[in-house]
Amino acid sequence: MLATRVLSLVGKRALSTSVCVRAHGSVVQSDDYALPSYVDRRDYPLPDVAHVKHLSASQKALKEKEKASWSNLSMDEKVELYRIKFKESFAEMNRGTNEWKTVVGTAMFFIGFTALIVIWEKHYVYGPIPHTFEKDWVAKQTKRMLDMKVSPIQGISAKWDYDRSEWKK
Amino acid sequence: MAYPTQMGFQDAASPIMEELLYFHDHTLMIVFMISSLVLYTISLMLTTSLTHTNTMNAQEVETVWTILPAIILILIALPSLRILYMMDEINNPSLTIKTMGHQWYWTYEYTDYENMTFDSYMTSTNDLTPGELRLLEVDNRMILPTELPIRVLVSSEDVLHSWTVPSLGLKTDAIPGRLNQTTLMASRPGLYYGQCSEICGANHSFMPIVLELIPLKYFEKWLLTML
Repeated sequence: MLATRVLSLVGKRALSTSVCVRAHGSVVQSDDYALPSYVDRRDYPLPDVAHVKHLSASQKALKEKEKASWSNLSMDEKVELYRIKFKESFAEMNRGTNEWKTVVGTAMFFIGFTALIVIWEKHYVYGPIPHTFEKDWVAKQTKRMLDMKVSPIQGISAKWDYDRSEWKK
Repeated sequence: MAYPTQMGFQDAASPIMEELLYFHDHTLMIVFMISSLVLYTISLMLTTSLTHTNTMNAQEVETVWTILPAIILILIALPSLRILYMMDEINNPSLTIKTMGHQWYWTYEYTDYENMTFDSYMTSTNDLTPGELRLLEVDNRMILPTELPIRVLVSSEDVLHSWTVPSLGLKTDAIPGRLNQTTLMASRPGLYYGQCSEICGANHSFMPIVLELIPLKYFEKWLLTML
C-alpha cells in the first residue's frame, strides 16, 4: 500500500529514476547505456558522439570556419576543434598511473603482517619440534639411508661416493 | 623412501615404476611446452598497445588448434595405455601375500604353505633407535624375495585404507569385503617405505608400510625362523 503510493510519485515526476534528468550542463553523465555516448578508449578511436555537445558562440563560429580550407586555421584553433570533438588525447588517456606502487606496497605490507603472525605463533602456540631433527639424529639417519641405498640411481645415494665415504663433488 | 630436497619421484625399484617415470617425463615435457606457449601468449597480450577486435571466420587457425591438441592427447594416451596393459600382463607369481588394513595397522598373511600372519604397527617416535625414520618405521616389516613376481591381495577388516609403496609404483585400495590384486616385482634389495593413502580415521598418517626385499635364499631362511 505504502509502496504503491511511493512508486506513484515516480509517475508524477516528483521522484526521478534517471540521473540525466537531474544533470545540467554540456557534459551529461548518462546512465542510459542504450544511448550513444562518448568514450576515451584506445581501441575505439572515433567515439559515437562528440565530447562537447552544446557549443558556445565562439565554438560555433569556429565550426563554421572549419568548413573552409583548413590551412586558414591557426594551431590553437585546430587544438580547440580537437578538444570539442575529444576529451583526452591518446597520450593523456594512455598515461600510466602510480597505482602499481599502491598495489605492491599493500601486498608487501600484508605479507609482512603475516610474517609477524607466524612469528607470534611459533613462540606462543607451537610446542617443540620432534627430537628426530637434532643434528646427531639427522646424521645417523642420513648414514642409514645411504647404507640402505635409498634412491641409488638419481637420488640421494647416487650423490654419495661409496669408495671415499664422502659426497660426490 | 623420500629424501631431503627431493623434487621428483623416488627412484624406481621395479620395471613398471621405471616405465611410469619415463611416461611422466614424456607427459610433463608436453605439459611444460604447452604451459610455456600459453604463458608466452599471455605475456604478449599483456604487453601490447595494439588492439584487434574484428576477427571473424578464422577457419584455418580453428582447425589447427583443434587437430593439434587431439594429436597431443593421442600421443599421451598411447604410452599410458601401454603401461596400463603392461601392469595387467600374466606374470605367474611365485608367492601370494594378503595385506589386510586395520585401524591403524597392517596385517600380512603368508598363507601359501603354512599359516603365517603378523601385524605391522608403526614404531612410535619415542621408541625409535637413533637414525631411524620418524613416522615410517614399523615393528614387523613385510619381508619379500627380490626379482620374483609376487601377488599381493589387499583388503580391509574395517574402513577404507590404501596400501602404497611409491618406489615400486604401487597403490592399491583396501576395501572391506573386496580383494584387490596387485603385482610386486622388486629389481633390487632394500627397504621400501610407503604410507596409508586413504583417510581412515585419527591415525591414518601413522600406519606406514615397510617392505624388506632380500635375495630368495635369505627369504627362505627367514621363513623357516618364522614357523
